[in-house]
Amino acid sequence: MKNAGIIFKKEIKEVIRNKNIWLPIIIITVIFSIGMPLFMIIGSESILRDEDTVNFITKMFGQVEDPLRVLIGFILKQLLIFLLVLPAMVPSLIAPSSVIMEKENQTLEPLLATPVKTSELLLGKSLTALVPAFVISTINFIILTLVVDIAAYLKLGYMPLPTAEWVIVAFLLSPILSFILTMASIIVSSRSTDIRSAQGIGAIIILPIYLIIGLQIAGFFLLNFIYLLVGCLVLLAVCPLVLRLAVKIFDRENILTRWKMKA
Amino acid sequence: MISVEDLTKKFGDITAVENISFNINESEIFGFLGPNGAGKTTTIRMLSTLISPTSGKIIIDNKDLQGKGEYIRSITGLLTESPGMYDKISAYDNLLYYSAFYDMPPSRRKDNIEKYLKMFDLWDRKDDLAGSYSKGMKQKLALSRALVHEPKILLLDEPTAGLDPESAHMVRNFIDSLKKEKITVFLCTHNLEEASYLSDRVCIINKKIIKVATLSELQNDDKNKRVEIVFADDAYRYLKIMEGIDKIKDITIDKNRAILVIEEPELSNPLIIRKLVKNGIKILYFNQVKVSLEEIYLDLVKNEGKK
Repeated sequence: MKNAGIIFKKEIKEVIRNKNIWLPIIIITVIFSIGMPLFMIIGSESILRDEDTVNFITKMFGQVEDPLRVLIGFILKQLLIFLLVLPAMVPSLIAPSSVIMEKENQTLEPLLATPVKTSELLLGKSLTALVPAFVISTINFIILTLVVDIAAYLKLGYMPLPTAEWVIVAFLLSPILSFILTMASIIVSSRSTDIRSAQGIGAIIILPIYLIIGLQIAGFFLLNFIYLLVGCLVLLAVCPLVLRLAVKIFDRENILTRWKMKA
Repeated sequence: MISVEDLTKKFGDITAVENISFNINESEIFGFLGPNGAGKTTTIRMLSTLISPTSGKIIIDNKDLQGKGEYIRSITGLLTESPGMYDKISAYDNLLYYSAFYDMPPSRRKDNIEKYLKMFDLWDRKDDLAGSYSKGMKQKLALSRALVHEPKILLLDEPTAGLDPESAHMVRNFIDSLKKEKITVFLCTHNLEEASYLSDRVCIINKKIIKVATLSELQNDDKNKRVEIVFADDAYRYLKIMEGIDKIKDITIDKNRAILVIEEPELSNPLIIRKLVKNGIKILYFNQVKVSLEEIYLDLVKNEGKK
């Protein structure tokens, strides 16, 4: 465990220094946690003046007492799904490079020659992706909640967040998703030969998240408490499987000889 | 200190090393020589528990490698073929990071880092990013990394590769001095001069072991004994006569000098001299020639290739 901490401490410093990781995170935060909610809440009354929007609400929810509240609730559900982008994206930005860079810089062999256990190496590398993913998505959750509540309170006189769905997404679904994607990224990078292919495959891994976002926006379904809970349970069942696979694949010999076999 | 028995490593259908066996004594420098693809790096990786053997046994410090990986890694220092440093952190922090994995008080780690960085003339640039180091400096830094935790066994893969002659000389002297500190050294090298200067024994490998011996044992092997004859005039004039003597196995001529490979030289030399003198040939000198490790190595590898 001590060795995993040593790896994590060194790696996290490098992650913090890496602008290529922070830039997309900041952009996503500004767009989805600040810009979009502000724009939607401030403009919600004018949206309601549009006849098509009123018809849409009536069609979706029937005759409602307070269409503005329903509209805000609907918008927040759309935003909720965007909150999944960060916990999925952060591990896929950090994890593949943390293993592949070791291979490319040829630092992996001397590292594996120390008494560090493979499980400690895997844990150290996983934490390097998991901790920032959790911290960033929690910060995003807080920013979004503050932005939405302040804007809604000033404009509409009530604070719509947090809801039970938000809490599930932020504190249950997001960490589970980050864990799965971290393990998947480590599996991919253990088998990859260069950073480009690892990041390319890493980008493909998060495609299902974009698919869910797209399907909700297209109106195929609307995430609610039950859907989220079922989703969490399904993903929770996947966790031990990806962990087992990662442990199996991430062994000393595999990651060394898959990279470059030298006789 | 190291005992290897019938070690084989296969990668799929490719056999990297086959049934190799050798023993290395404590504080011995064991030169491991072979052409590219001979299995040197594979062997060093097995000794450092980075990869596991397909079959065979490795015992290090009286412990079977199987299941004792962490202990073995804690008493060995590995210098990999390429230095492999974290370019974006300082040289000092690189050593601090790697050494943190060993069970050692922090103050001793820091003392050792200082000791080796000073020894290899890197102390003044300890805070520079490792990425700004030249290849030779990185190699010296990697050697410091292999030593900083005070290993009992040092596994060196081409330790002087990429070093300028002065640094290479310093590293060689340093490796030689490790004997006094009772460190066992497994030295993989292409540099035969280095191997003959440093090694107590050499092992020549080409997937299988060709020979394990001391340099003097190799030189005194009848197959490697050479005789130099200096004639009063052109040696080519006597080529036919020399070829007619069945104890002479090989002849190399350079002006008035001939180098002969002779079967059972101690018995055959007087007969050969007598025969040459009988034919009226004037011999100025008749000397035993010490064969270099390079010649022995090339000869052994060539003969192995013919098999």
